[in-house]
Amino acid sequence: MSRSAQISPTRAWIVLILFSMGSTAIAATGLSGLVPALAILVLAWGKARVILRHYLGLARALGFSRGFSLVLAIYMILAMALTVAAIGGG
Amino acid sequence: MSDTLDDSTPFDDLPGDLMMWVLIVSELLVFGAGLMAFLAVRITDPAGFAEAQSHLHRTAAGINTVVLVTSGWLAALAVQAAEVGERTRVRMLLAGAALLGVVFLILKGVEYADKAAQGIDFETHPFFTFYYLLTGFHAAHVVAGIVILGLVAWRAQARTVEVGAQFWHMVDLVWVILFPIIYLLG
Repeated sequence: MSRSAQISPTRAWIVLILFSMGSTAIAATGLSGLVPALAILVLAWGKARVILRHYLGLARALGFSRGFSLVLAIYMILAMALTVAAIGGG
Repeated sequence: MSDTLDDSTPFDDLPGDLMMWVLIVSELLVFGAGLMAFLAVRITDPAGFAEAQSHLHRTAAGINTVVLVTSGWLAALAVQAAEVGERTRVRMLLAGAALLGVVFLILKGVEYADKAAQGIDFETHPFFTFYYLLTGFHAAHVVAGIVILGLVAWRAQARTVEVGAQFWHMVDLVWVILFPIIYLLG
């Protein structure tokens, strides 16, 4: 096990706040369309990774971290595909 | 025959408690399926979903995100404090995390009251069926999390604090995915 990849709770919190402000700011601009929507999902993906790795401690368990990251990636890509289908087809 | 028993399992590296991870994965699957269903149904009526979403208060939900993320940070700090035996600090941090959970619920209650005042309910539009189901189920987990934080603060032992914080981080994790999908995707 290695703790080298683990960042402090405070650094993780700062990243989460910045990502949350970023996604809210994108929505607040009133811009519609695919690019803002995908950007919001990418930021959500980033937040989920931070919580899994640094708050739930998966950064200390590389094998499990890779597994969760893979499933999360598949999930977020599927969410993006459905978003493309809704907005692109709308 | 060897007298040496090897008790190691593939799950030894997993932080916290295995049963809590089983619960976390189960909850993530339920919420994940719900949100995926929301996104799939949205394809059938993107304009209607966008119009329904315009009745939500994004700023209040954004504030609630900061509240919950900050609460998760306090829970993570409590785990660190518990590892070095600072029981008073653990209790203060967990109390802060739980208090922010209460703030989240109050803001959620205000949001629901606002929807009720607009005459919006489960059946107004499929968007709101998903909205009430997913945010309501999440709010129920916040309530459970507050109770769990209170219970683990009672004895403030490192092992139990870590497991309690795991549940709280799961609630946080669900929200950071749920919030943008329900509130922000136009």
